[in-house]
Amino acid sequence: MRLEYLPSPSPWRQAAAVALAILAALGVAGLVFWAYGVPPLTAYATLLRGTLADPNGWAEVLRRAIPLILVGAGLSLAFRAQFYNIGAEGQIAIGATAAAGVALFWPIEAPWMLPTMFLAGFLAGAAYALVAALLRAGLGVNEILTTLMLNYIAYYLVQYLVQGPWRGRSLFGFAFTDPFPPQAVLPTLPGTLVHWPTLVLGVLLALLLQFLLSRTTLGFRLRVVGANPQAARYVGIPVGPTLLVAALITGGLAGLAGVGEVASIHKKLLDSSNITLGYGFSAIIVAYLARGQPAWAILTAFLMAVLFAGGDVLKVAFQMPFRVMDVFSGLFLLFLIASDFFAQHRVRWGR
Amino acid sequence: MKKTLFLLLAVWVVGFGLAQDKLKACWIYVGPIGDYGWSHAHDVGRKEAMKALPWLETAYVESVPEAQVEPTIDKLVSEGCKVIFATSFGYMDGVLNAAKKYPEVLFGHATGYKRAPNVMTYLAEFNEVYYLNGLIAGALTKSGKVGYVAAFPIPEVKRHISAFALGVREVNPRATINVRWINAWFDPAKATEATNALMAQGNDVFAFTEDTPAVIQAAAKRNLPAFGHYSPMQKFSPKTVPSGQLVRWEKIYIDFLSKVRNGTYTNRNLDKVDYWWLLKEGAVELGGEFGVPINPAFVPALKAKRVTDKLTGKQTTVYDLVMARYEAMKAGKFSPFTGPIRDRNGILRVPAGQVYPIYSDKPGANQASMEWAAPGIVGQWPNEPKN
Repeated sequence: MRLEYLPSPSPWRQAAAVALAILAALGVAGLVFWAYGVPPLTAYATLLRGTLADPNGWAEVLRRAIPLILVGAGLSLAFRAQFYNIGAEGQIAIGATAAAGVALFWPIEAPWMLPTMFLAGFLAGAAYALVAALLRAGLGVNEILTTLMLNYIAYYLVQYLVQGPWRGRSLFGFAFTDPFPPQAVLPTLPGTLVHWPTLVLGVLLALLLQFLLSRTTLGFRLRVVGANPQAARYVGIPVGPTLLVAALITGGLAGLAGVGEVASIHKKLLDSSNITLGYGFSAIIVAYLARGQPAWAILTAFLMAVLFAGGDVLKVAFQMPFRVMDVFSGLFLLFLIASDFFAQHRVRWGR
Repeated sequence: MKKTLFLLLAVWVVGFGLAQDKLKACWIYVGPIGDYGWSHAHDVGRKEAMKALPWLETAYVESVPEAQVEPTIDKLVSEGCKVIFATSFGYMDGVLNAAKKYPEVLFGHATGYKRAPNVMTYLAEFNEVYYLNGLIAGALTKSGKVGYVAAFPIPEVKRHISAFALGVREVNPRATINVRWINAWFDPAKATEATNALMAQGNDVFAFTEDTPAVIQAAAKRNLPAFGHYSPMQKFSPKTVPSGQLVRWEKIYIDFLSKVRNGTYTNRNLDKVDYWWLLKEGAVELGGEFGVPINPAFVPALKAKRVTDKLTGKQTTVYDLVMARYEAMKAGKFSPFTGPIRDRNGILRVPAGQVYPIYSDKPGANQASMEWAAPGIVGQWPNEPKN
């Protein structure tokens, strides 16, 4: 038996691999549910009824898709340029912090407040990613390590602010800032937490990045730098600056996601693990599944959001321990990633 | 035949009636129920309430992030929950929004201070028990240094450390209480590290606010006493846990649910309902294990230590003093925050003859929002008031 590499597998082959992966994941997860005393089909029926067949469920899916689209689209682009940004958690937190700073301490009038917050969040997130990109471009420091470590610095910076100088005066000493003024709060779809302006922004930016990547000179440079940095240098593409651009975009989009979260759901700055909720890490999978196509991240972020929201539904409906849901989403990702290998390789029998 | 049918029908109707007549209450936990601390204790309360109230039906969701409380409430309401308990301070705004959306559902918010016609607040409050543990710690320390591993610098934790320090100083006026903040509710590694650092500085008795027995285990390696916190922790080190704080959330849950059941509490009159329950109501207890207020291994040492009771002016032993105060507080006749109390900077906080109010209109001047540190406390104290 041997494996044969398929340089460009047909779309059908890829689709079949994904479908098989999903079936396999459902099967194994079903075993886990069954072991927990819940019939697998009942569990899946409940999951669908609680997410895609229910208005509240849709709201939950969309709410979780918003940060995943923004971060996932940015990461897809960065990964194409081989800039492995593992620091989206930190960039979300820093973006949220910058927006909170504007909202709390800069009395801007209604129409300009939110745009200023988004701009501040983008710039802050971009600047934060730039630290790692400069170290990589200038000194060859591995960005996987630096971006990961910068997450902790961001976390403790937010901790310091909410427990120290920014702590709210109206909150009996608890570690939150004061609430944002009304002009700094994003509108949501009535009765839900879906902050639609961020959703629209995320979808537009994902499409814009797709265009940038596939139709512009900059996109071409990003792709070449990612595919073969030596070749890029040889043809005169400035590798360092191109990497910096990738970092600015991915960091900035993560920053925007942070702004969306604090300006709608929280309406204040608080402990950043409650803001990021692991979106920065989950978006890595979103980007991976999107195969480096920012526009696809819209779809993969949505699927991921269904998994997350579905997990919550099962938790409530069957009183499952919350770790069961991590197992559930973990199985999905494991099989989807494995399916990639089988989409790109053919098993041949004999010699 | 007719009779049998009638009987069957009657049984069916009554049975159906009973089934229909159940009250469904649901709990939202911020952590996993296996944390052996906060969420675990609430879940014990839920189970005890189920045992005590045959008409009660319950459900719970664990590890719900603070921002996720509203969608979680949406789901619980659609599952038929009529009463919802949200057990974390950070759920406050989410609960109040949901309460507007579901005016027919009754909400309980633990540790909060905002109420509404269908939102009550509740807390099983420990300051009395910390004070009693402080009396014991003051008697047990040989170095005159008591270590305290603290979670977050919020009013609740500060209040407890101050109550503890008031107890320590009452028995041992020169002792210090050395505080280390770990900025976590659940972090056994940091708690162990903080305990080791405090031991290195000469502290020889420990108390803490953290959801695991880590401090007890670290101190036990050098055979030093440490007080249990929140759950029965004496079993982790039977010879080194003199006492501790124990909670019985079920006292509050059973009382509230019974009053909902009998119509005393409705979705229109909760805005004045606030449970601030102490020893008197049985919501908290003294001990490292239920029913054992002081570990017998420490009783001889406490009986050997003599002090003057500041209330009666008479000589007594620390053991008798602890028991006398315990009984007085169970009868509602004493509070650790009885004046005169100056803070560690000498500012008068509670005038002589007064008891510090639980709530008042002035933020920072009551038990619920106090931030000052009692005398004897040493170490960083974020946001310490200057006047």
